[in-house]
Amino acid sequence: MRGDARSFQMALVAEPELDRLLDVLDEERFGAVQLPPGGLDRETAELWLEQIAEHVAEFRRNDYAVVLLDDGEYADALGRAFSGLGVGPLPRLAVPAEPDEVREFLRQHARVPAA
Amino acid sequence: MPSERQKIAFLAHCLLNQNSKTDEGAYAPAMFRPVVDVLREHGYTLRQMPCPELAFAGVRRFWGVKDQYDTPLYRRHCRRLAKLVAALMEPHLRAGDDVVLVGVDTSPTMGAEFAPRSRDWGGRPDRLEDDSTLEPGRGIFVEELEAELGERGLELPPRVGTRHWWPDYDEAEERRRLEAVLK
Repeated sequence: MRGDARSFQMALVAEPELDRLLDVLDEERFGAVQLPPGGLDRETAELWLEQIAEHVAEFRRNDYAVVLLDDGEYADALGRAFSGLGVGPLPRLAVPAEPDEVREFLRQHARVPAA
Repeated sequence: MPSERQKIAFLAHCLLNQNSKTDEGAYAPAMFRPVVDVLREHGYTLRQMPCPELAFAGVRRFWGVKDQYDTPLYRRHCRRLAKLVAALMEPHLRAGDDVVLVGVDTSPTMGAEFAPRSRDWGGRPDRLEDDSTLEPGRGIFVEELEAELGERGLELPPRVGTRHWWPDYDEAEERRRLEAVLK
């Protein structure tokens, strides 16, 4: 990589929480990867999670920091998608959570932790 | 009482995650806020689409033109992802919701109104004479999404592409162009 403005860190975010947490994520320099909305049929949901896992596998392979802000909707299916690609468990915070709690969590797991 | 129409914006992955950009392509650390903010100001729910190039060519890929990526295998990859996006988009289109697609008009894959083209460019990105040009048209994923929606009897929704890597990028112009397709 020759370098650009990227932060090398991102969060997988439960769909209902994205809008509420978007500012915190951006302020902490975390990109967002939106998990699929609830209510999808099982096959569609699993295929969505499979492609997200492919993204995560590529980022982790290149030492990007990836965390999970998860409401539990797809916890089991996401775990299966990760394990199928050799991706281990990600640092996880259950949401909804207060923005300050999310901010602290992101700082703890930042690629370069805040001093 | 009829239910209120929803406002849904399907946007290119990189607008919410700049880490997915090509090498040297990230304009901001995390998100491209000028576009995201306009969508939120207008009350749109955000739906992030996958990044076909990231999954296919990896995070260390350099930039390219549509003519490089336009292979049968890459189109099949895009169609696979387009089926997922179409599955989310279809109920909103059938319900008459206000759906927009926000792409990236420098992308061979996610171009909404323009895509980079070159008849022979295919070398290293530091080649001194990059003869690619931005030409009217769509990126490969957007074309595959249009085809997938077509098989479902649906049309591609109104669309717009961000142009923050265009030499004459003007944030105010982009906002006007974006707002022209929003309700």
